[in-house]
Amino acid sequence: MAGQSDSNPSLFSAEEVEFMAEDELIEIVPNMRMEPLNLICGDYGPFFPQMVTQVPLWLAIALKKRGKCAIRPPSWMLIESLTRILESERESQEASQVLPFHYVEISRLLFDHAREDIPDVYMVRSLIEDIRDVRLHKVETSLESFEGARSSAVRIMNLSAMEVNVVRPFVGRALQAFYKHGSPDLIPNPERMSNSNRWQQPADPGQRRPLRKR
Amino acid sequence: MADYYDIDDIIAEEEIVSVVFQKAVNGVGIDPSAETDCVEQGSKVELPFWLAHELHIRQVTTMKLPPCFNQKTRLELGADAACVDLRSRCPYFYEFGCKIAPLVGDRDMGSFLLSAFKNRYQEVLAKAHTASFAAASKFLTLLTKEETNLYEAAQSSMAAFKKWRVGGPRFQRAAVLGRKRKPTD
Repeated sequence: MAGQSDSNPSLFSAEEVEFMAEDELIEIVPNMRMEPLNLICGDYGPFFPQMVTQVPLWLAIALKKRGKCAIRPPSWMLIESLTRILESERESQEASQVLPFHYVEISRLLFDHAREDIPDVYMVRSLIEDIRDVRLHKVETSLESFEGARSSAVRIMNLSAMEVNVVRPFVGRALQAFYKHGSPDLIPNPERMSNSNRWQQPADPGQRRPLRKR
Repeated sequence: MADYYDIDDIIAEEEIVSVVFQKAVNGVGIDPSAETDCVEQGSKVELPFWLAHELHIRQVTTMKLPPCFNQKTRLELGADAACVDLRSRCPYFYEFGCKIAPLVGDRDMGSFLLSAFKNRYQEVLAKAHTASFAAASKFLTLLTKEETNLYEAAQSSMAAFKKWRVGGPRFQRAAVLGRKRKPTD
């Protein structure tokens, strides 16, 4: 799937993550009459003027571009709930669960295509940017702590899709390096080596030391 | 042989190590100080790792620990790992260390490399997602190749994310679609 962005070591490019986010459902208020749409991903509609209905984000944007509907911003994208989320993000080290998995992408798509449907769009936008920055900083601080643990593991709760995607190449490589240097193969067992490789010089028995205890 | 086609692995094996010949070898010109084409027993020669490795497993030579893993470097890394210039000592410090550890019989190498990487990892992490390129360029010269890869992975994913956020052309038009009619020539 992600073969096109070869210079980028990340598995998915940001555009691909955005593409996946377009499958999230969102409420629209159509202003036209239309038969139900029977798609592989599900049936949507029928559409009547001023009757709220749920469609995937990509369909909502396509209709919006043609002037056939107004998009209702999701409930978390209101100023009050965003302010509450931002406060709780700043207070605790745990990431909050309120935001949907694709919040970065959904908010960007709505800002691009449905600005006039979002009340107080500037305020909402800056709040979401603040939340994202706080959360990214949180991810970095928790990555700092994981090299201390013996198991070389890190536990971060409730990461969103875009946040995972941004840190994935770095974390993947770092974990690989930790695994490689921490593996007991580097501290070889002399008996096993002389058996497996007949050219191998038998190691000096004086230096023999048992394997690291786990 | 797992990384046979990995260019970094190949370059890492080019590192020079000094070996002591346990046997006299005839007909090879690998000792530049010798007048004839043979190497006497007990002579010290500097060879690339890939050659030294092959000779070592045939018990022709014994390998010495390269200077980048000596006691002085270990002390420096223990004192302040992030400020040690590992690139000038050995650009593939970790890779080379893993390769050479079983040959010189150094049992502490694994834990030494791990602790060095742990301490330097924090510095890479702190710089990778935040600092601008200009601010980090001085720091970059200290990193080994492996750490640079790590740093660049973080930088490029962050840059790709920022580029996506700022926007730009959403759809790229195929070149054939732009022309309405073919030029008549």
